[in-house]
Amino acid sequence: MIVTDSILLKLERVAVGYGRLVVLSHIDLTIDRGAFTGLIGANGSGKSTLLRTLLGIQPPLAGRIEFPGQDGRPPVLGYVPQREALDSAFLVSVEDVALMGACGRVRPGRFFPRAEKDWVRACLREVDVEDLAPRRFSELSGGQKQRVLIARALATRPDLLVLDEPTTGIDTRTARAILDLLRRLHEEKGLTILMVNHDLPALRRYVKDVIWIRDGGVARGSVTEWLRPDQMDDALGPPLDRKEKGARD
Amino acid sequence: MSHLLEILDPQFLSRNSVYISLLIGFLAPLPGVYLVMRRAVFLGVALPQVSSCGIAFAFALQGWGWIPHAHDSAQERVIALGGSIAFTVGTILLLSLLERRGRGMIEGRTGFVYAMAGAWSILLLVQNPFGEHGMLEFLRGEIIAVATVDVLWTAGALAAVAVALVVFQKEFLLVSYDREMATTLRKRVVLWDAFLFSLIALTISVCVMSVGPLVTFGFLLVPALIAHPFAQNTGQFLVISSIVGGVSALVGFAIAYAWDLPVGPTDLALLGVIYAVAMSVRKGLELIRARSGATAS
Repeated sequence: MIVTDSILLKLERVAVGYGRLVVLSHIDLTIDRGAFTGLIGANGSGKSTLLRTLLGIQPPLAGRIEFPGQDGRPPVLGYVPQREALDSAFLVSVEDVALMGACGRVRPGRFFPRAEKDWVRACLREVDVEDLAPRRFSELSGGQKQRVLIARALATRPDLLVLDEPTTGIDTRTARAILDLLRRLHEEKGLTILMVNHDLPALRRYVKDVIWIRDGGVARGSVTEWLRPDQMDDALGPPLDRKEKGARD
Repeated sequence: MSHLLEILDPQFLSRNSVYISLLIGFLAPLPGVYLVMRRAVFLGVALPQVSSCGIAFAFALQGWGWIPHAHDSAQERVIALGGSIAFTVGTILLLSLLERRGRGMIEGRTGFVYAMAGAWSILLLVQNPFGEHGMLEFLRGEIIAVATVDVLWTAGALAAVAVALVVFQKEFLLVSYDREMATTLRKRVVLWDAFLFSLIALTISVCVMSVGPLVTFGFLLVPALIAHPFAQNTGQFLVISSIVGGVSALVGFAIAYAWDLPVGPTDLALLGVIYAVAMSVRKGLELIRARSGATAS
């Protein structure tokens, strides 16, 4: 059963950016435990900057980011980056990549214990790529890589699963399978998910609520309210971006 | 084959040189694996030159009277090692800091460092009255005349680096492969990077003092470049690189001994031949796979 009445993540008057450049400011936001939330906005609107700040990769310029209800325990964030960010020059097998998810629990200098290896295998099995374990990660297809990265994030035993454009550059059928997988993980395991995705029609079918970044701020709404087919154009970006997209199309 | 057996004889006159060659052949490629995977090959070229510059600077300090003059080879080694490590670690940390800031061209900075280190090594050598005595010996990398104490120094340092690379492999791999993920797992990415770079710098410093910058660069990178297409994971990559380096060092020494050639350049020439053969084999395998795939379809 999904518990939605407790807050997992809370942002108070948060500003994000780089150095002196403020990208987004005055962000007040909460994410409930068990939520499945989409993060949308035009290119360059600050989605990735907000995501990186939530993940602790860069500090907020102002405000507070809290994870209440953790009893003082720091939250575990399962991060699924854009797969292009991972360099193919690294010779890592699928199992090597998935095992990275367990690194947070194994002390430096210690080898992975059997229990952790079994858990990582179970995560690979969960996303249906266990048979790929010995293969080189860089040789996989886009959809297979995405599943492995989701397995790696699951291996962290996350309180919050954060995905950065998990279906970009993947064919429609495979993208649908990835999103089906995420929905299953959300429904069966009560996993809290925050996902950046540009595929708004797909997003509409899967997420329950939406965080929309626009005009240097953040707004929040339900899928039925904001991702109606007749309103989706507004979510794609400012008029100039839409005009450019139309010209390209 | 008889030459190979001869150089492996414990009574062989230049046995220390064989030991040094084997140590560097087997162990120097291990940190080189990380330089190749992090696409920092140019750094592997520049850093041995920086190490040489550090040695030159350390000896120059003696010439200027800023530090006491060394009275024996052990003191000289300590002074040279100090200069080499200080320059190499300092440079690698500075370059990685600039890379993290993401400004300018990495290759440009590395090339600049290489050119400056080469130039300053010569300038410091020319103006140093003690240069002929100690510094040239270090910079040339005299493999033929190696003292037992040098073998022990090199063995100790390189063994420590190898053990650290194996024991902390999961941390080094994580911060090298996906530093953002490492950050979300609360790993101290900067410290792990600094630790890895320090191990690389120590390897380079020790190797440069034993075999000179050219051979150091060769054994640091070429075995890893040869192994890269044939390994499936980092463990295999480390093992294959080490075996390629070690076997090349042994066979190269035997060839140099048989034909009365300088050891270092012979080793590198042999590595070059192995690299060419390996790339041809790789290309052949790709063609066979492509043809069998086309036939199957």
